[in-house]
Order: sequence, then structure tokens, then C-alpha cells
Amino acid sequence: MTEFAVPTRTHGLTRVALPLEAIAARVTAHFPQVTATEAYGELTFHVAPEELVALVTFCRDDEELDTALLSDLSGVHWPVGDHVIERQASTTGWPEYRVSREQGVIEVLYILRSLSRNHWFRVSVGTPDDAPKLPSVTGVFATANFHEREVYDFFGVEFEGHPNLTRILMPDDWIGHPHRKDYPLGGVDIPYKNDKFIPPPHERDLREVID
Amino acid sequence: MAIDPGTEANLSDDALELFVEGADWESVVDAVEDDRITVNMGPQHPSTHGVLRMVLDLDGETVTRLTPIIGYLHTGIEKNAEVRTWVQGTTFFTRMDYLAPLFNETAFCLGVEKLLDIEVPERAQAVRVILMEFNRIASHLVWLATGGMELGSTTMMVFGFREREHVLDLFESQSGLRMNHAYIRPGGLAQDVTEDFVERCEALLELLPRKIADYEDLLKRNPIWNDRLRGIGPLDADTATSHGITGPLLRAAGVPFDLRKAQPYSGYEQYDFDVPTETAADSYARFLLRIEEMRQSMRIIRQALDTLPGGPVMVADKHIAWPSQQSLGVDGIGNDPEYIRHIMGESMEALINHFKLTTQGFTVPAGQVYVPVESPRGELGYAITSTGTNKPYRVHVREPSFVNLQAADVMARGQMIADVVVVVASLDPVMGGVDR
Repeated sequence: MTEFAVPTRTHGLTRVALPLEAIAARVTAHFPQVTATEAYGELTFHVAPEELVALVTFCRDDEELDTALLSDLSGVHWPVGDHVIERQASTTGWPEYRVSREQGVIEVLYILRSLSRNHWFRVSVGTPDDAPKLPSVTGVFATANFHEREVYDFFGVEFEGHPNLTRILMPDDWIGHPHRKDYPLGGVDIPYKNDKFIPPPHERDLREVID
Repeated sequence: MAIDPGTEANLSDDALELFVEGADWESVVDAVEDDRITVNMGPQHPSTHGVLRMVLDLDGETVTRLTPIIGYLHTGIEKNAEVRTWVQGTTFFTRMDYLAPLFNETAFCLGVEKLLDIEVPERAQAVRVILMEFNRIASHLVWLATGGMELGSTTMMVFGFREREHVLDLFESQSGLRMNHAYIRPGGLAQDVTEDFVERCEALLELLPRKIADYEDLLKRNPIWNDRLRGIGPLDADTATSHGITGPLLRAAGVPFDLRKAQPYSGYEQYDFDVPTETAADSYARFLLRIEEMRQSMRIIRQALDTLPGGPVMVADKHIAWPSQQSLGVDGIGNDPEYIRHIMGESMEALINHFKLTTQGFTVPAGQVYVPVESPRGELGYAITSTGTNKPYRVHVREPSFVNLQAADVMARGQMIADVVVVVASLDPVMGGVDR
């Protein structure tokens, strides 16, 4: 039988959750550069890559925030150009989505959760999509290991300081990072017998049936 | 899907390569300075729950490191969803964790509903809860069955799958499919439950407690089951938290964290149930915990059935509600003739709406949400990004199986090679969820 270490931190819902304003105030007091936004009842901190590790370490170790669990880590690719949905405002009355980007960005989102206080928030950090590079948080949260490998695999983000940054879901010799928006759909060799090259959609003759 | 280049004996440049070519075993063993070898296990192995591959560093028969290698079942569901409408998304995500399809559907739909800012009718919420809890029981029964089989108890395997089939019969009677239902849709349910739904649930609630008590008796007193599980695969609360472990593994380490209690969704706050915890933090504790969780699930179902409200099962907004009015005809269930008459004969606008919804789908406001539910394996979260179109811009799934698998290394270290099977079984990974 193995001897178990006595848990060093309080687990279980022992304290009440902090309201979102209090979390935002707590974090921005220590990190003046960080901006907080709230949408759909969810709190998001926008942080520069240089401050990322310091921020998540602070959130984990801070007595008030106590976010012991990194729930999720995911990426979103926002390529260069205009992203406008024209018909929104007129038909539905929903806020119009209009963003123009001069630089493509890969946004990486961290969901930090407190097990003792039962609150959670999101940390968003962006990196240019032509040379995506971020510091690894595997030193703070061991669980980031697989997550960061996944983001590397799908978006090509280099996490500096990751112990083993290799592809995790795609085959080792795969070329490209398939969840990027500039990744061609179609145009991939089929590595089997009797294969046919399927051209990308804009080169495809749609009258011809690909069998 | 790469071998960890590693630091120790694993595949370093000067690692000793051994070829056993009929030589005397003693001479082979003598040539090794320490008894450290690297062994590949899987991906095709009866105990790996699908196609999980593990590279084991062994010192004698003791595991010094376990490297899980995954990706063999990767199907790009997240990427596929980006070119499908929001409603079609349900059909994809239900195929991720194939033992917990209703949790995937619910979590995705809760995310879409959060973006749309709509409230699902109470009846739909209650039916969702009932079906999810039955799904949890079915999933834990498969865990018991496969876990039993891996430890040599084929009796348990037959029993577990037999009772699970009764639960799947219930799902089939409501959704038409045993698995991968796509029954829960953004805004409610695909269609109302059948008239004999409550009756069927009652019959299951009659049957299952007896059977589960039988299995508990069968296994609790079984000396092999005890010897193989007690003290195996330890994972204390701190290590579990830092490795992102949630669900039964975390609760078996004494942390009463359950999203149904912590952040109630779908009306879980109305039901009276306990979050069982154990303190031993080994595989046996996880066995006891899952048995108790099945009992608590039945408590929730009991209450939900007693208070099952009437009313619609889909939001009233015709811009969102999937037009699937169906009725039972002489040749089985099909489109409701009344509804067909309405759109084909009476209302041009209704026909246009039907056509637009079924071809283009509805649009969802721009924004990012993260919605977690408590799946049988832990926190199942959907991080959805919308840009206001009729398709998701990006959906990322926080799969508990994927995250929990990281703890296999910590749990297996210092254990015997035969215990790796127990460690993986007590993690309960579903490779469809891990690889997505």
C-alpha cells in the first residue's frame, strides 16, 4: 500500500465564489497591463505573452483566487483580413461582428478553475500566426502538457519550455497544422492504393464526379 | 503520436540494442547492465479500451515510466464541425465519446443556447437530465464490464453489457438509435418522449438497483478483485489537480468536486443527491465510487420522473426550433401529415422558414463561451467560438478522457507491469473521446 501525502491545499467547496468584478479587480491590481472583459457572464483576461506565466502562477498561488485547476487550453486562429458579417444587424438585431486584422493571430485560451471557491475565468493570449510562439505553462500546471501538444499540432504554436513538444493527434510526419484557417481543405494526398489527388476546392471542376 | 524522446534509457543514442536470436536467456540477461527495458503495449491490445498505445520503461517487472501515445482514432470532428451548421454539429459531437453521447450533445447544445441566450423548456431539461443519468449508468456499467474482463472476470463482462443493453433499449425507443443519438438539439429535444417513456424508466429503476447490488456483492467479496485493485494506481488529490484530473478519479482522492453541484445546469439544483467521495485514492476506491454514483444517478432519475413537467420540448422561437414535427402513421414514424399540409398547402412563410432552417440553419451571435458538464469521466467542456454565422467558427472540446490519460504515468510508476492494465481500466479512457 502506498502512503498518501496529506493534501497541501484545501480541496472541496469550502469557500464562496468571488464575484467576477472582484476577480477582475484582484488580477488587474497585480497586473496593470492586463485588461479584463466580460461577455455572456464569463470573465476573460487579455494578457501579453511575456506576462502569461507570471499571471497563471499568481492565479494558482493566490489565496483569494486559488485556481488550482487548469481546466482547458485551446487555440483559435484569426487570419489576416476583414471578418465582417453584413446581414447581422438588419435581420436579427444582434451585435454586428466586424473585425479587421492587419496581422493574423492565434489566440490561445486558458480556462482557470478554483476547486475550493467554485469560480472560473479565461485567460486569452495572442501570438502572430506567421511565427507563433508562447511560453509554456507546463511548469505551473502539469496538465498543460497534452493540451499544448495539441495546440502545437493543430495550430503550430511553439511553446517554449515544453518538455516534449511533438504532434499528438496527427501522424508524426504530417505537414501543416490542420486547424489553421489557411490550411487547405482538400489538396491532401491520399496515402492508399488506387489513390487520386483531390484538388483544393477552387481548383476543382465540380461537374466532374470524384470517385 | 510520437515516442517521447525522453531522457533515460529510452531510445538514447548509445542505448543497448538487443536481438534475441535463439540465444540462451541467461546470456541475454547478463548482457544487460541493469534490468531496464522498454516495451511497447498496444495499440491493439485487449486491455487498451480501443487503440491506446503505451511505451513502458521497465526495471525488471516494475514500471518506471509509462508514455501514452494517442491519435490512432483521430477523426477531426472539431474541424468537421466548422463546415457544418449548428444543428448538424450535434450529430458530430455525439460521436466523440461513444459511451457518453448524450453528455456531448447536451454540453454542445448548452453552449449554443448560452450564445443564443435562450431558455430551454422545463420538460426538455428534465428529459435531458433523465437520459444523461441513464447514460452515466450505462457508461459505468461498461466500465465495470470491460474492467472486469481485463482482470479475467468474463462473468462481469457479460453482466455489465447485458444491463447496459436495457438502458440502450430505452435510448433507442426515444431517439431511434442505441448510440450516437443526436436527440438533444440546440433549443430542446429532437422530439417529445414517447407515451410509455415514464413506464420504461420505471421498469429500469426496478431492475437496475437489484443488479447493481448483485455486482457489488459479486466483486466486493471476490479475493482476486480485491488483490488486483487495492492500493493499485494511487493518485492523491494534489497530483490529480495539477494533472487536471476531474470526475471519479478526483472524487476517489477525497475532493467532492462535481459540476452538477458546483455549477448546476439543466435544473440539477432542484434534485437532491449526494456527491460520493472516497479517501483511499486507489483503484478499489474508484470501483466503490462508481457503484455509488450509479445509485445517486437513480436517485436523480427518480425525482426527475416524479416531477416531470408537461409542455413543449423545444423553444417556441420558430427561427431556431428544428422543424421535426413527427407522428406515428401506418408505416411507422414519419413527417406529421398536419405539418406537411400546413407548409405545403397553407403558409408560404412556413415553407420558406422550414427550407431555410433545414438548409442554412440559424445564425448564432458572435462570442466565446465555455460550457462544462459533469460527464461519467469528469469535466466535459465545450469552448465554442462564434462569429455570428450559421456555422461554428471553432469548437474545442475539453475531453476528460484525453486529460485524464496524462495521469497514467504517475499512477503506473512503481507498479508491476500487470497493474498497468488496472491503471488504464480505472482511468476509464474512451479512445473516441481521447482522439476526437
